[in-house]
Amino acid sequence: MEKEELRIGVFVCKCGSNIAGYLDVEALDEYASALPNVVFTQWNLYTCSDVGLDEIKKGIKEQNLNRVVVASCSPRTHEPLFRSICAEAELNPYLFEMVNIRDQCSWVHMNEREPAMAKARDLIRMGVAKAALLEPQEIITSEVEVRALVIGGGIAGLTAATSLANRGFPVILLEKEKELGGMLRSLNRLAPMDVDASEVISKKIKEAEDHPNIDVYTGAAIDKVEGFIGKFDVTFSANGTTKDVRLGVVIIATGAGNLVPEGMYQYDGQKVITQWELEEKLKIGKIDGNNVVMIQCVGARSAERQYCSRICCAVAIKNAILIKQMNPAAKVYILYRDIMAYGVENEEELRKAKQLGVRFVKYDPERPPVVEEDKVTVFHHLMGKELELPQDMVVLSTPLIASEDAVKIANLFRVTLDENKFFLEAHVKLRPLDCATDGIFLCGSAHYPKDVRESILQALGAASRASIPLAQGEIKIEPIISTFVDRDACRGCGLCVALCPYGALEIEETDEGRKANIITVACKGCGVCAATCFRHALGINSFTDEQIQAQIHGFLAA
Amino acid sequence: MEKVTGSNGDFAVTVRKKARYVDEDLCTGCGACAEKCPTTVPDEFNMGLGKRKAIYKYYTQGIPSTFCIDAVHCRTFQKGKKCGVCEKICQAKAIDYKQEDKILELKVGAIVLAVGYDLFDAAKLPEYGYGRITNVINALEFERLLSASGPTEGHVERLSDLRDHELIHSGEKKLKKATKTLGKYEKKHKKSSADFYKEFTAGNISDGDEFAKWAKQYESVQEATKKLEALKAKAEKFDVATRLAFIQCVGSRDFRFNKYCSSYCCMHSIKEAMIAKDHEARTDAYIFNMDLRTVGKGFEEYKVRGAEKTGLNYVRGRVAEITQDENENPIIWYEETTSQTPKSLTVDLAILAVACEAPKGIEKIAEMVGVELDHNRFFKTDPLNPLDTTVPGIFVCGCAQGPMDIPESVAQASSAASRAAEAVAGKA
Amino acid sequence: MSKDILVIGGGIAGMQASLDLADMGLQVHMVEKLPCIGGKMAQLDKTFPTNDCAM
Repeated sequence: MEKEELRIGVFVCKCGSNIAGYLDVEALDEYASALPNVVFTQWNLYTCSDVGLDEIKKGIKEQNLNRVVVASCSPRTHEPLFRSICAEAELNPYLFEMVNIRDQCSWVHMNEREPAMAKARDLIRMGVAKAALLEPQEIITSEVEVRALVIGGGIAGLTAATSLANRGFPVILLEKEKELGGMLRSLNRLAPMDVDASEVISKKIKEAEDHPNIDVYTGAAIDKVEGFIGKFDVTFSANGTTKDVRLGVVIIATGAGNLVPEGMYQYDGQKVITQWELEEKLKIGKIDGNNVVMIQCVGARSAERQYCSRICCAVAIKNAILIKQMNPAAKVYILYRDIMAYGVENEEELRKAKQLGVRFVKYDPERPPVVEEDKVTVFHHLMGKELELPQDMVVLSTPLIASEDAVKIANLFRVTLDENKFFLEAHVKLRPLDCATDGIFLCGSAHYPKDVRESILQALGAASRASIPLAQGEIKIEPIISTFVDRDACRGCGLCVALCPYGALEIEETDEGRKANIITVACKGCGVCAATCFRHALGINSFTDEQIQAQIHGFLAA
Repeated sequence: MEKVTGSNGDFAVTVRKKARYVDEDLCTGCGACAEKCPTTVPDEFNMGLGKRKAIYKYYTQGIPSTFCIDAVHCRTFQKGKKCGVCEKICQAKAIDYKQEDKILELKVGAIVLAVGYDLFDAAKLPEYGYGRITNVINALEFERLLSASGPTEGHVERLSDLRDHELIHSGEKKLKKATKTLGKYEKKHKKSSADFYKEFTAGNISDGDEFAKWAKQYESVQEATKKLEALKAKAEKFDVATRLAFIQCVGSRDFRFNKYCSSYCCMHSIKEAMIAKDHEARTDAYIFNMDLRTVGKGFEEYKVRGAEKTGLNYVRGRVAEITQDENENPIIWYEETTSQTPKSLTVDLAILAVACEAPKGIEKIAEMVGVELDHNRFFKTDPLNPLDTTVPGIFVCGCAQGPMDIPESVAQASSAASRAAEAVAGKA
Repeated sequence: MSKDILVIGGGIAGMQASLDLADMGLQVHMVEKLPCIGGKMAQLDKTFPTNDCAM
């Protein structure tokens, strides 16, 4: 290809007084005009205003500019705008370079004008040097298979699947147990609605099973996962048969497990039981004896398991109320550290329990209660004295723990778990329902212990997030991603594969031997692979070694 | 929003887009207008702790990033005053005093109510002195003190100190003006005010109204100088606020006001205390609570880190009363319930973790769209259909449904989006 | 029947709901009473439990 003549245009922005108040923008404009390959320069009051943008378009058209540099503010906010303007003027948007002389010069060096000017000159010179080496790039698009996989047939998975199906998207729902329903199947009644858990879950199960858009597989196990957002290829077996399916998105709703408090507080599953086992007894409606003592935070908020399991206080309160309603003569004590009756409904239930005569005793974790044959001894932290409570039954409130399948699922889908082996969200506040890996979403107690209401909420939210790529039908990817600059140099060592946080690289056997393969759709352009590849085989588009070296040379050329 | 008619799948909504008096397409957000605007008013974004102009941007990074005129305070909009400064200064010609409200008619298939919440007015609890004791503030006000873009640029200062700085500033201005008046007398009579006053009080100069006025002016300048100096001497000793008391459950879990728990305040106070300690290592923070409800992912760990690494003090006990000492330092009166002892603690600032309440005006919105509220005035929902209001096609998310923290609000917003999308897909 | 959606409130919940819906390809009208969107979260300095900036 014949090398075209470089015609770089530089636009320097005053940003009202934001830049011009501290830097001599007209002098910078003049400085830029003398730089190599620069054929046109202009300063604007606001380059981002309609007038300023028109000037860029005019420059490209009338001056035949084939590279554009804007020296203004932050690329975080304005690069997309300037790129789109280049595109409107039929210049490839990736032949655009931005120099930040506002944040990096006029703002941070307000009180030292001359050094700020020198820095602005350096940055503009570097930007121009890099611009000379920019290559056109094309946006990458990839089709999305319009089908979702929901893993887990508990309340969260069922809700997510039904919501997606209601929107017209086909869904495959996998459940490892023989029956749908998850944890709710073994629960008694739910607070604060005061309904039977089985009633709630059977309605949900029926809705999902009857839905024409949902294929349900029970007794299912996932064997293999390949691919990435839009094209996950999943092999699973269910009831003796194996199936291969292609899916656009995945929702993880695998739920949580229960801690069995072996060796704690004389736990025996008979007279000292868990809340879970109490639910079974309440279902039958048979509670022996009048004296019930519940102990909170058993195996939680401790050195070995630091987290608070969120729902156990509400569970204890709910069950205490049920016992008091069944047998008003019963004496129910809840030994707690902090009563986590957060929100509107839980606090209401707490109040109701107190009105019914449930006694709450704060204990000091330094002096935990002691369970004996027919009594529990506890130091009442707020009365400052020891109490002896007779007991016919002790109920231990144990935390929900990560599901036993969490590690396997996480490895299959290359998603991250937190320190407690719950699934980790991409961002606590901005993306609480997305996994860091694109196309995978999470909900329910797989994420963290949750009550039914919260699981439903999260499931609907995950369905919303998952529906976005499905509704769009394709995904668009910024081309600033990993690329081979010298494929021959690659020896297939796999260092990049091991370090890539997004699973965007793999090693394949080719005719030329072991080579890395870049899964462009999964790449985020972070540059870790390019930085670690000691064979210099990998690079990042628009941040190639040559371009960065040109910037450094540009800097030193002052 | 002014009117809503229709039903699920087919709502007609009337919205009034209020005039900004600044053309959004022309305004570049440069801020030259606000720099020159002569009218200064308390800044709502900074909880009234800072100042803004009558032409303003709600906050620096706000979107839209264009300015708008607060017609209630703008001189041009107030009868009989000529100003027009912003119009003259604006290079983009964006100022349009004649802009009018626009009425928009929208046809929509579903509605999401995300109207948020308001803070409990702590002045309703006289025992905590909010509004009466200067150095008792609420948690959002404290947040603005912590913010680098806030009125103190992130320095945690006592409100009484901020007030005194303001008094010194305005006092100096007044004194300058008064001294100028004295100068006029001095020039006219070719005599220093001090000499004149000596003669005047000795009775050597008696006649004439003007001399009496001069003497009076001199006296007032003397007095103002003395006051100002005393204030300045006091201000020299001002330090950042290092003793902080965070009071939990203010207006929450309280039978007189809101019986419910506001969910996020425990973590909010722990966070504020931690950040304050980050800003100033000498900070001694106490968090007075009944239970510390740290129920979210990573919350308990955060609380433990707050105590063990940051050295925050968690005190179990509900504060009975807040008074103040002669230096305007709040005194916290409480029972430390784990040792069953009544105690008091003097601090620089007391920060009230006020309840999250349904927003003012929620009744009006509820009436307009026809949905029911629950007994706490939040939009009524069913725990098993937690986003559906009592009207099909209308959904709710965030704190308008009940108190919740940011991750929950974001997750709920996505859920509401799901329900709304189901509704317009014809299945909800 | 309209497929557009009205979101009342431009705080964190309103913004997230609007973004999700717009990403699904639906036309969203977001209404906010204050001059800027952002709501109460914009008034926060940092946020728990990660202490990152609320902006």
